[in-house]
Amino acid sequence: MAKSSEKRLLSEDQAVELIALFLSSARLLISEPPAYGPLRLLTATERLSAMILDDASPTTKKLLQVCIDRIPHTYTLANEVKEYAAAMDELCDALGQCLVDRAKLQGGS
Amino acid sequence: MSNPVLENIRTRRVIREMTDEPVDPHHLEQILEAARWSPTGGNQRPNRFVVIDDPELQRLIRLVAPGMFQHAPILILICVDFAIFHHQLDPEDDPLYPIDVGKAAQTMALAAHSLGLSTGPVTSFNKAAVKKILNLPEQVIPCLFLCVGHKAPQTQFAMRGAQRIRWQDLCYRNRYETWDR
Repeated sequence: MAKSSEKRLLSEDQAVELIALFLSSARLLISEPPAYGPLRLLTATERLSAMILDDASPTTKKLLQVCIDRIPHTYTLANEVKEYAAAMDELCDALGQCLVDRAKLQGGS
Repeated sequence: MSNPVLENIRTRRVIREMTDEPVDPHHLEQILEAARWSPTGGNQRPNRFVVIDDPELQRLIRLVAPGMFQHAPILILICVDFAIFHHQLDPEDDPLYPIDVGKAAQTMALAAHSLGLSTGPVTSFNKAAVKKILNLPEQVIPCLFLCVGHKAPQTQFAMRGAQRIRWQDLCYRNRYETWDR
């Protein structure tokens, strides 16, 4: 549950759009190539990032912008595990920094 | 390759980023007529083609089509009318229809390419939801969307193959012996 002091970042239409993506992917992935699984998660991440970018806090906005900028390039790497893992590590690093910044932990920028 | 047909085959690409420039209706008709000439197993002609140019319908389809990265001005949905197979106990026992769908898709893709248009096939979509959205009859099964439009000028992302392959790498002579032997 979001704290009552936090504003809503998603509209109902946007939430339905994500549900449609999740449910459709869950059905399709039964018979699709294994590499499509991560691809669908990344597509969902990219779409959600774009949906909430404008209204997000500055710390979250940094992560969202990284997702929007870098995820499309990871789509080319489905068959190249090492490069894909390196690209994911960069995204996860940005995620970790965002979590640290939001929690105001020591070591956060 | 100097033959224009072979050149057309060699230069066609799957396009995932398109502009919003509309497709000339005459070109669309030529693509659909090309589909009509696509061969089908037993000449049964089970393929049906639904052209979607309504932006709201396209938006709804994209919601349930995780594999559709294109925002194409025209979507052509290739369907199969299973009523054609009424004389067969179970068409799934001898599934020629996916081959017919593939032939129609490639025929339209090549026709579009020859007209200066780009295409991208999409099979990653929620069939049940698409049937509802487009009000397809029960016996009509949606099989493949062909996105048709104009290629965006910026670099598109594409699945990178593990290595470059030659036709000889895929082909064998007689008893599955390598072509170069």
